[in-house]
Amino acid sequence: MTGREQELIERYIYQVTRRLPKDQRDDVALELGEMIGDMIEGKGSTAEKVLTELGDPARLAEQYQDVTHCLIGPEYYDTYLWFVKVVLLCSILPVLAAGVVDAVRLQGAGAAEVYVAAYAMTESAFVLYGILQAMLNAAASGVTAFGAVTLVFVILERQKVKLEKKRERKWKVEDLENTSAKLFSGWTPGALSPVPNPKARISRGDCIVEMVFTVVFGGLLIFAPEFFSAVFREGEMYTVVPVFNLDLWEMLLPLFILSLGVGLVDQAVRLAAGVYGRLVLVSNLVCNGISLVLSVILLKVTPLWNPNFAVDLQTYLKWSMDESVPDFLLRFNGDTISNIFLAIIVFAVLLDSGTTVYKTLRYGVHTLN
Amino acid sequence: MGEERDLLAGLVMELRRGTLILSVLSQMSEAKYGYALVQSLEEKGVEIDPNTLYPLLRRLEKQGLLESRWETGGSKPRKYYQRTAYGNEIYRELKSQWKRMALGIEALLEEEER
Repeated sequence: MTGREQELIERYIYQVTRRLPKDQRDDVALELGEMIGDMIEGKGSTAEKVLTELGDPARLAEQYQDVTHCLIGPEYYDTYLWFVKVVLLCSILPVLAAGVVDAVRLQGAGAAEVYVAAYAMTESAFVLYGILQAMLNAAASGVTAFGAVTLVFVILERQKVKLEKKRERKWKVEDLENTSAKLFSGWTPGALSPVPNPKARISRGDCIVEMVFTVVFGGLLIFAPEFFSAVFREGEMYTVVPVFNLDLWEMLLPLFILSLGVGLVDQAVRLAAGVYGRLVLVSNLVCNGISLVLSVILLKVTPLWNPNFAVDLQTYLKWSMDESVPDFLLRFNGDTISNIFLAIIVFAVLLDSGTTVYKTLRYGVHTLN
Repeated sequence: MGEERDLLAGLVMELRRGTLILSVLSQMSEAKYGYALVQSLEEKGVEIDPNTLYPLLRRLEKQGLLESRWETGGSKPRKYYQRTAYGNEIYRELKSQWKRMALGIEALLEEEER
């Protein structure tokens, strides 16, 4: 063998082994050396011909590795797609909504004038600029959410691969004698869940719409609580009277978020289950119970409403309309509003839980084993 | 035309791939090194690319069907592979499966010829 041939072989072996895990490299290198040497001797061939026959070292290295060459396999792909869609909606829309609200609010609050003066913009250009900013932020949060979901599923995929390998090994030991079809999977027809009554199906669309609304509402509460305000325009001046007690917002917001989060969990359980059953029922009752308790705390215990709302409103309304104050405003106070809201919430919760209980008992899927 | 040949080549390769493990296991009752295995398979008309064979041997070893040892006595170090007890069991099982399958396929093909 000439020096050039030796060099070629060494280069080839290096190109294969550098792509392999460290602990295999030395062994595979020896093995390849043996193989190439034998092939040259056996065929009376040259190193160049033998290496050409072996082909691209990258492909050969691939043969040595039995790792799955995909991020998310077919088993998880459908679920993954669904999650991506839902999470994208839930991450892009609230950021977009909060951003747009913010842009409009800043314009109202007079910030536009600074920009208008500084950059020779028109006011509508300022709002457009704000909206563009919101779109960029939304895109960024979409990318982040996409990455996060993908990461979670990649981990799931890897873990599953490991789990399945363990299971396979166990199977082989236990079922050596068993050569029937059972060897190929642990699945039996008994594991099939019954076809749900069409009325027991939970619409995925409804769940997603509700989740998106919840998240948008949450996003507005977090990023733009001023959105929930009465706004008056007096000539060039804007006056904003927030509905909520923004002075204590840091205390109130977590309660709101917790309550919305509980709702999200419930919707997620519904989405995953797809039919009414014991799981959906339990989750619904627990989540609605928690929501109810949180609502009572928010509405009856904590100072949720802007205490000056009624007074401010009266002042500004008189100012702008110069009319006598309507009767209902005089009767406006936090307690009344709280009671009205609480009544609505109790009604909604009872309706929701009632529907769930009814549908579960009437049509629900019950696993028999 | 080229497409057709590609398709055929792909199908033949798949057929061969299915029988590869059985072919290799059948030759491993005695310890053999890689190239000797290539030759003994080729003598019997079973083609196998060395670049599939060597990785396959490693995989079978990892699965516990083969065991290996390096022999450094000869002119150059050689890795010898041999069936394990577990490999023997699996091989026997695979062989009987293959025979049944071959009979079935044979019957199918003859029916077609008639």
